[in-house]
Amino acid sequence: MKRVHLTINGLKKEFVVARDRRLLELLREDLRLTGAKQSCDRKGQCGACTVIVDGKATRSCLARVATLDGAEIITVEGLGTPENPHFVQEAFVLAGAIQCGFCTPGMIMTAKALLDRNPTPGEADIREAFKRQLCRCTGYRKIVEAVHLAGAFLRAERRPEDLKPDLSRGLIGVSMIRPSAYAKACGSAQFTADIPLQEAVEIAVVRSPHNSALIEGIDFAAALKMPGVLGVMTARDIAGTNRVRAVVPDQPVLCRRRIRVMGDPVAVVAAQSTALALAAAEKVRVQYKPLPEVKDPFAAMQPGAPIVHDDRVDTNVFLDQPLKRGDVDRAFAEADVVVEADFETQIVHQAPLEPEHCIAFFEDEDQDEPKLVVTGRSINIHPHADQLQEALGYDNLVVREAFSGGQFGIKLTITSEALTAAAALHFKRPVRYLPSLKESMQMTPKRHPFHMKTALAARRDGTLLGLKWDAVVENGAYTFYGSTVCNRALWMLTGAYHIPNLAARVRLVYTNNIWGSAARGAGPPQANFALESLIGMLAEKLGLDPLEIRRKNSLKVGQPLSTGKIVDEWFNDGCLDALAPFYRKALQEAATAGRGGRIRRGVGIGAAAFGIGSINDISNAEVELMPDGGVTVYGSMADPGEGTDTMVVQLAATFMGVAPDKVRLCLRDSELTPFSGSAAGSRQTFMSGGAVELACQKLKAAMAAAGARTAAELAAAGKPLRYLGTKQLPKSAPLDPTTGQGGNFDTWVHGVQMAEVAVDTQSGEVTVLRMTAVEDPGTIVNPQAVEGQIEGGVDMGIGMALREIYEHGKTTDWKTFKFPTIRTMPEIRIKTLETPRKRGPLGAAGVGEFQMVATLPAVTAAIHNACGRWITALPATPERVLAALKE
Amino acid sequence: MQTPKRTAQTSGSTLHTPNGDVIFDSEGFLLRPEEWSETLARLLAAEAGLETLTNRHWEVLHALRTFYFSRGKAPTGAELKAATGLGLLEIKALFPGGLKFGARRIAGIPNPRGCL
Repeated sequence: MKRVHLTINGLKKEFVVARDRRLLELLREDLRLTGAKQSCDRKGQCGACTVIVDGKATRSCLARVATLDGAEIITVEGLGTPENPHFVQEAFVLAGAIQCGFCTPGMIMTAKALLDRNPTPGEADIREAFKRQLCRCTGYRKIVEAVHLAGAFLRAERRPEDLKPDLSRGLIGVSMIRPSAYAKACGSAQFTADIPLQEAVEIAVVRSPHNSALIEGIDFAAALKMPGVLGVMTARDIAGTNRVRAVVPDQPVLCRRRIRVMGDPVAVVAAQSTALALAAAEKVRVQYKPLPEVKDPFAAMQPGAPIVHDDRVDTNVFLDQPLKRGDVDRAFAEADVVVEADFETQIVHQAPLEPEHCIAFFEDEDQDEPKLVVTGRSINIHPHADQLQEALGYDNLVVREAFSGGQFGIKLTITSEALTAAAALHFKRPVRYLPSLKESMQMTPKRHPFHMKTALAARRDGTLLGLKWDAVVENGAYTFYGSTVCNRALWMLTGAYHIPNLAARVRLVYTNNIWGSAARGAGPPQANFALESLIGMLAEKLGLDPLEIRRKNSLKVGQPLSTGKIVDEWFNDGCLDALAPFYRKALQEAATAGRGGRIRRGVGIGAAAFGIGSINDISNAEVELMPDGGVTVYGSMADPGEGTDTMVVQLAATFMGVAPDKVRLCLRDSELTPFSGSAAGSRQTFMSGGAVELACQKLKAAMAAAGARTAAELAAAGKPLRYLGTKQLPKSAPLDPTTGQGGNFDTWVHGVQMAEVAVDTQSGEVTVLRMTAVEDPGTIVNPQAVEGQIEGGVDMGIGMALREIYEHGKTTDWKTFKFPTIRTMPEIRIKTLETPRKRGPLGAAGVGEFQMVATLPAVTAAIHNACGRWITALPATPERVLAALKE
Repeated sequence: MQTPKRTAQTSGSTLHTPNGDVIFDSEGFLLRPEEWSETLARLLAAEAGLETLTNRHWEVLHALRTFYFSRGKAPTGAELKAATGLGLLEIKALFPGGLKFGARRIAGIPNPRGCL
């Protein structure tokens, strides 16, 4: 042990610490200063834990307290409070640099340290200072803007009060400050691991090292003898179905007998601390009988292949859905030109920074069944409560969302919640589960890899005649929303275009690999990469302009989507028109830069149309008139960073004609909210914003009917104060099992992107220099939030296009995942169009996922433009680019 | 009463009743709660092994539906207790399958779905 004296946020304190005690642990655990976060398993990869030590930005997860005697430390809590923020915190808020907020305290401390030594940093200085700070939400652009803005505040060139948005002339189209922004900037927003949970036990999970095996015995006697251990739980201790269900209940909470993928949970150890639980988990002896495994979806479809779910079915093919429209054989026979290609996309981790932390505890213990509260970062609280009730055999269970450190689709499914809740029920104690990043990666679904065999037929003038698309999608060991992802690919199969003849098929195949589920875009990014690449190939073959061939084939009002649904509005052409001048200029610049030499410049475009509001979708919202004339909005509308909170406030305030500070939100508790659906599918503005509108209409109608202007008057008239609005999309048929024809999305967001790249023909390295994104998401509620979504989505798309790949068992942290950093951030230009949609609230459709659907093909088209090679397997790594160049 | 035919589908099933087709999800929950009727409730109860629905059953079923249509979600156990005056265990004992697979399914309260 060692005694040290530290000055922390201006207060001098003495500590006696173990020699390996890290500063992050001291701050979070001893001092409850939880602004500094932990994401990367204390490897110094993410910077979320950054604090200032003696004037330097320091990763507190690496700093040993014993070496810091006499140091002066500043954490984000030492800068300012939401009521009295520091100017750097103000800058991050005003620049819109805060989305989920998990990385924000570390970013702010890095900014402060930089500005303290350099009040006028240039972009290169900022990139250097932030090179080890990771952010998954923003694409870093607005963080750079925030640092510049903070510098301007520091130099007294600008004042925060001059930048506050003017809310006096309406709230739509105004970049209102998000309600949660200051709490995130000041470290007072509590993420799950930040919540104090008295008398909690902490758990560790024993997981299988095998991909396919039978459990023949579990011996935990030695674990029970370990210090601080409360007990061990196995599948026998779970009262319900012990199966987690999204589409089908095929994943055990704890495996009783069969292992289907490495990392499957076998037992849970509860102890006084995570460290003691992990130590005891090492002592649990599980006897496995290894079984044959299948890791390739094509092999999994062969006769005699090991059946992954042999207890339930006799095939690995979970879904085999065709889609047929027109006469594709005739179209190909009559075509002047056909292009064919096989495409592959990789498994990608959604990569939220926050690990799969979860807590569970009992409330109201005097009831028949005490209420079990499960808190994590679910974006799907009602279905998750329902699924947990079923899996654990316990009805009185509610799910709450803490502040969420990103999700990007991953939290549409239950991850750590089932084990945490099961442990609370079994041990009858509050339980905290703080898995590592490595374990979090192991327990979460990923983006499905697609293998697509495709062909596109056209006339000589570029008119599209037919598309063949045969996709094999690796499901992995469990299904979750796998079939929905496949259906989404079919629903959006024809992208922005009219293709009259279609022959498509998608097969979703179980393997002994990590399972897939929702991931930003969920299906269409993969399918659209193939379609847009084919269109680029076709343009090349016919000698046509890539922009013009897209314009020529744009879907028109009155024409059908892939599933036969006729569209009544479509806004692709406006996006193409808006991009055209940028495109012509970029082509000229690339030509000027030269086509020869080692470094070759290229320009590529990718378009997309993205559906929002799937068939039979429903969202509910309640609006309650409050005594002060304001309203409270209730709904399960998670905000893992996109800005749901500000969207709801701006819409509700507009509909009710009240000031935004008179709108309160209750959005994160399955007990207190109506079911509004999930924060997925880019649907919150269109669906839940629509439900808020309907609820406000009901409240206003009731007030008008009663002649009431206040809550007191409405109550005096004997009327309720709280009104439910339900947005239910028209009844629509699911996909026909033989033709794939049926309903489709209710509205669409449109856009086209242009990538400008430099390809190093010796190393194969591709650098994205600039992205230009044109997007029409309908009426824009909050421009800054929309820009943030576009920038973050483009950055994520570039990551998937060029670098990111998840290999189960090998990808264990942010370095091995190749997380995009500020060093790879390109310039991003944004042009938004705002064509009001017929059925959106105030004409809004939505934004969130669309971007990367267009980014992937834009980047690979630019690579082709630079060096004449189509990259058809993602990611376009240097090795793949070099191999293509050698062909 | 003749038992209507039920057709299984990939994502659920359709019950062909004299008043039209009624669509259920893969767990047998109504997709659209407005298609519920007391006749349909008796059919679903019979499928669940409940030959007779007593006044107490109806009280719970109607309480569930009233809550759902006024609050946009199924009630928690505590909310259902408050609405019916019955104990949670008492309600569970009334319906084979308990609250969710018994009472909620027969009441035509849809499963909350993940929306993509």
